[in-house]
Amino acid sequence: MSVFMDLNVLFSPDRNRLQGVIETAAHLGFSTVAINYVFEPSSKKKQEVPVPCPISELIDQLPVVQGRSRPIRVLNRLTVLMSDSSHFRPSAPEYRRFDLLAVQPTTEKLFHAACMLYDVDIVCISVTEKLPFIFKRAPINGAVERGVVFEVSYSAAIRDATMRRYTIANAVCLMDSCKGKNVILSSAAEKALELRGPYDVTNLGLLFGLSDGDAKEAVSSTCRAVLLHAGNKYYSTSTASTTGSTAMSTTAIVMMMKEDEGQPSAKRCSGRPSGPSGPPHLRPPSSV
Amino acid sequence: MHAVDQKEESVFQRVVLKNASPFHYMKVHLVLENETTRLTAVELKHFIISGLKTLHGEVGAALNVDVLKYDDDTLTALLRVSSRGLVKLWSSLTLLGSYQNQACAFRVLQVSPFLLALSGNSRELQLD
Repeated sequence: MSVFMDLNVLFSPDRNRLQGVIETAAHLGFSTVAINYVFEPSSKKKQEVPVPCPISELIDQLPVVQGRSRPIRVLNRLTVLMSDSSHFRPSAPEYRRFDLLAVQPTTEKLFHAACMLYDVDIVCISVTEKLPFIFKRAPINGAVERGVVFEVSYSAAIRDATMRRYTIANAVCLMDSCKGKNVILSSAAEKALELRGPYDVTNLGLLFGLSDGDAKEAVSSTCRAVLLHAGNKYYSTSTASTTGSTAMSTTAIVMMMKEDEGQPSAKRCSGRPSGPSGPPHLRPPSSV
Repeated sequence: MHAVDQKEESVFQRVVLKNASPFHYMKVHLVLENETTRLTAVELKHFIISGLKTLHGEVGAALNVDVLKYDDDTLTALLRVSSRGLVKLWSSLTLLGSYQNQACAFRVLQVSPFLLALSGNSRELQLD
């Protein structure tokens, strides 16, 4: 049984609100949350990729997760809204400051490219509009093999009735094509009252057409697989893409397991001479 | 005096019940944006039925939901629903977002097919 995670909590500049959301998430039983910075590049003017705020600045004392003795883990995530293929520059150094990388394609070509080629962890399915394209089996199977997951957010369904229809329609369409594999459910919560407990989200997965086991995995083990896939990105020195979630470099797995146990402070990693530049807490110590 | 070697026969017996209970019981807590708002039991039931109607239509609203116990100070209620309607009720409680123009959330504390199981909650256990 894996721990519950909510990998999409929208960043807001209001520090108290964000703190309230994190505390509610810890109270509800989520062991990990990821603060999502949404970035919408436009080809007209050059925009800066947002810089993630360090966690220690956001909240002083991380609250303890209900039912466990460890404090909640907070990660940073970037979502790039793509409407053109030039919007996402692979291997840009700004992306390395984030722990997770997500992309939200708006056209069929971009969806195909995101699933098969781009070095992302999560492909977001839009829930605020009618699906602009039909899902085809080929890119979805390619994504499943590479370890990329699809994400459905549910907080739009809580806010508005029309969004509810779009969320359910798009989610059902996705589940038909992907047969329930590699799906994560997350809130895109702006307020603490938009979060729902992990078993509530599992029940929503049943509504979207997932089976019992798949729905629970969508909140727990698939999320963990995403984190392992993300950690692996910075450490695979070969240019060949990692094939699925089974082919992991052992150092990345050791990294993640040690992080599960203790505080994510200095990385203990044996034998990685070339210093890859990843997010600070995933970086190994410089002396081997 | 009974014979000392009178031993009772212990037979291992395993009973497996499938769908033993026709009802499912849920303990829920309503969290409102304005914490001083109070609802009566009738208002709460109307709110739940309207949520079912919004998400699952008339068929959902026709589901038999009973409020067995209600504490209006803490806004905690014990609901009973037939087992076939559990997913519908639970999903409509999850997606209920607003009560009279204020944001709200239903926190589901316990779900069980047996009412006795709801009497104890290991999450609120205080270990001294």
